[in-house]
Amino acid sequence: MSAVPSLIDPQKVARDAVALGLRLGADEVRASVGRADDVQLQRRGGRLERAQEARTFGLSVSLFVDGRYSSHSSSDMRPEAIAALMERGVESTRLLEPDPDRALPERALMGGLDEASLDLDDPTARQRDPARRREELEALEARAIAAAPADLISTTAHLWEGRSESWMCLSNGFEAQSARTTFGWGVEATLKEAETGKLPEGYAFEQAVHLSDRPSADALMAELDEALSLTRRTSACASGRYLMVLDARVVGRLLGALLGPMSGGALHERRSVFLGKLGEQVASPRFSLFDDPTIPRGLGSRSTDGDGLLPVRRALIDEGVLKTPLLDVYYARKLGMAPTTGGVSNLVVPVGDRSWRAATAALPEAIRVTSFLGGNTNPASGDFSFGIRGQLLRHGEAVQNLSEMNITGNILDLYANYVEAADDVRLNSSTRSPSLLFDGVSFSGA
Amino acid sequence: MADLISAVSPPSRPEELYFERFGVTQEALRGVMSAALSRGADDCDLFFEHCVISSVSMADGKVNRASTSIDLGLGVRARVGDQVGYAYTEDLSLAAMLAAARTAAEIAMTTPGRAPVNLSVLGLPSYYPVKERWAGVGMERRVPMLRAWEAAAFARDARVEKVSCQLVDAERVIAVVRPDGRVAQDFQPMTRAVVSVTAQQNGRRESNLYNLAGRAGLELLDADRVNRMVNEAVDRTMFLFDAGKPPAGEMPVVLAAGASGILLHEAIGHGMEADFNRKGVSIYASRMNERIAPSFVTVVDNGTLDGSRGAINIDDEANPSERTVLVQDGVLKSYLHDEISAKHYGVAPTGSGRRESFRHPPMPRMRATYMEPGPHKPEEIIASVKNGIYCTSFSNGQVHIGAGDFAFYMKTGYLIEDGKLTRPLKDVNIIGNGPTALERVEMVGDDLMLDEGGWTCGKDGQGVPVSQGQPTVKVGALVVGGVSA
Repeated sequence: MSAVPSLIDPQKVARDAVALGLRLGADEVRASVGRADDVQLQRRGGRLERAQEARTFGLSVSLFVDGRYSSHSSSDMRPEAIAALMERGVESTRLLEPDPDRALPERALMGGLDEASLDLDDPTARQRDPARRREELEALEARAIAAAPADLISTTAHLWEGRSESWMCLSNGFEAQSARTTFGWGVEATLKEAETGKLPEGYAFEQAVHLSDRPSADALMAELDEALSLTRRTSACASGRYLMVLDARVVGRLLGALLGPMSGGALHERRSVFLGKLGEQVASPRFSLFDDPTIPRGLGSRSTDGDGLLPVRRALIDEGVLKTPLLDVYYARKLGMAPTTGGVSNLVVPVGDRSWRAATAALPEAIRVTSFLGGNTNPASGDFSFGIRGQLLRHGEAVQNLSEMNITGNILDLYANYVEAADDVRLNSSTRSPSLLFDGVSFSGA
Repeated sequence: MADLISAVSPPSRPEELYFERFGVTQEALRGVMSAALSRGADDCDLFFEHCVISSVSMADGKVNRASTSIDLGLGVRARVGDQVGYAYTEDLSLAAMLAAARTAAEIAMTTPGRAPVNLSVLGLPSYYPVKERWAGVGMERRVPMLRAWEAAAFARDARVEKVSCQLVDAERVIAVVRPDGRVAQDFQPMTRAVVSVTAQQNGRRESNLYNLAGRAGLELLDADRVNRMVNEAVDRTMFLFDAGKPPAGEMPVVLAAGASGILLHEAIGHGMEADFNRKGVSIYASRMNERIAPSFVTVVDNGTLDGSRGAINIDDEANPSERTVLVQDGVLKSYLHDEISAKHYGVAPTGSGRRESFRHPPMPRMRATYMEPGPHKPEEIIASVKNGIYCTSFSNGQVHIGAGDFAFYMKTGYLIEDGKLTRPLKDVNIIGNGPTALERVEMVGDDLMLDEGGWTCGKDGQGVPVSQGQPTVKVGALVVGGVSA
């Protein structure tokens, strides 16, 4: 993609950084070099509004010196600049206080999945014709304009593609290399609502690891149409407790609320509502949540994790029982436990066997949450409060578009009241969860 | 060698071109601009950046973690009207810079128009003079600072169980080079300190934090500020043990002076960014010179406040920073402009063209956004509320630009009953509609305060440092994320 062929050999840079760190007196060194090619295009008003392209490099180094630890990164890849970074790094590390839990992982725990089986590097990326990208984006914008409702005032079409590679090299001999591609596109549109003067906006963005898996323009248009329909004539309904259908597109927000308190840092700092609850029931027995880095072409899949640990599919919560905290090598040592992984990959919730409409058909009222606005979670207490938009459902049918409402509660109560998963899982996401249903959620509105 | 390569040091002479130390000559600059203009672009800019961020952290009673991040590169933007071609490179060799410029130039498809003229370094104001640079403060001085903060936090309350502290300093030099010959070079310091506390009471745990930030060196961390940081981190944590939830629904909301400027930032500020208005997608797009708030509301975005986190001597397009009045006595008076939107509206840029780094093109952004003091006393504002809430600290917010709906998250506050503060409250999202909320501003206090925390504003994938402030303000009704019976 870049017009300049690079003379930098990333693997050599990583290996040289490790060797230099050891020469300067470090006991152990981990070095990673990333290289990414990135293209972003944007069309509005029938013409190209923005075209951006770049090739980017970065070096990250972790230094373990006399039982002390520091980390350093730089985009300046000149050998003399890297040497200066390493010299300063080793010097400053010696002035810190020792931390016996800082060390590279045991070699036996390290490893990588077969890159070919993960299939994360689409060869199409290296053969893409730049003109073809622009044609695809132009056609997408034309579709969006042709399908536009009469009250549309602005539409913007986006396309982004990239290929990133990384090389990890450790002083214990472990090396890993990975590459992944991304192909994405989307449309955003703004309407002028005559009755209210508001300018509600809707969007549809999709991406995939392989170009052939990128959702079609038809799928984007259908998604945009639904998104825009949800923004029209919105208002708040009465405050109260309702069954909540959490739409599959936004389910990550409330799954994410579980992950913060599961992290090694939160557990070690005792800022976790899950403290002391490993192996205990923390959610309804109907609820299970998995982390699966091994899914071929998965947007969150990876051949090795940030520590160089071998990726494994794990149940984080199994039938409501907290099974696996998210422990990188450092916090695992701090807590005297075995490491798992420091960060999740693909979050998976098993799919249900009926639609959310069918699941709510018997209910006089329920609320479907389709987007969030602001809000936060307190990982220490589990308290959360989020702004939402969505739909009021009566017997499974939407009767009112909602805005200016909040949901508030505690994640332990929320997941204890989990009811079921619908059948509408999204595969073009690292959050592979269907819509989820929770009972008795507190909504504040009019 | 280490100092020359990996540390930022400002130009020693006003006319010195900073990036010459990386081998970038005046001739190269003109050549790169010629390449960016080679296909007929109207204008272009080169944005060089050299930034070093250092961080040192304390946890478990030990100052045992440090990091350094170095960023060096060039972003090239070519413009044809409002069309933008952008490319960047971390390699400052002439070949790499020319390649980036040629890539950016592809947005245009005609013949070369203008040619760059001789370069001249602009003189800039100094809104953030540094008394003591962090470059001269070694680890041996930083470690005892963090130790002292930790000790003070433990000493403040016996319920404190864990304390973590972090000190981050950034030194950044930018150079914006334009084909009309302007070269703007700015040394931009930033200091940020954070104390986080976890405490236990009767088996329950709560956690909270307090942070300080500003464009300054070591002098930012004076004794008063450090004491306030530690004490607030501890006290705000203890507050949570007794705090609960308000009832759910719409009610009057009183915002305490200071960080409540988040209301302005989300409800008004983003809607005033002129790129949204130029495209007609902001709720304020057709309301210039209309009354949008009561007459006692004046809202300002100001890049010239000494040492504030949102201050800039020059914006990232080489236009002067300024104090921009957005709303004067309740009437919408100006948007925040970069060059593209200023040209669209036929006005001067407001010095609001900002970007996260050389990897991003600039766009209109806020700097330090606040409401001017009003006629009311804070006590009379609280006393005027029969049933409502009083918000004292905040963590984050968000807005839907077109619909105008916004939200902000209240970390701590109080219930107001019969004009008095009663029950402590925590962890509540508050949501409203920007134009409606502005119209519902019923009282504005005389106690304007700029928050001293490290706010970062996100837009279109770019984060920039900002400040915000507000006097005590009463909004007649917002939807409070309380708990339904």
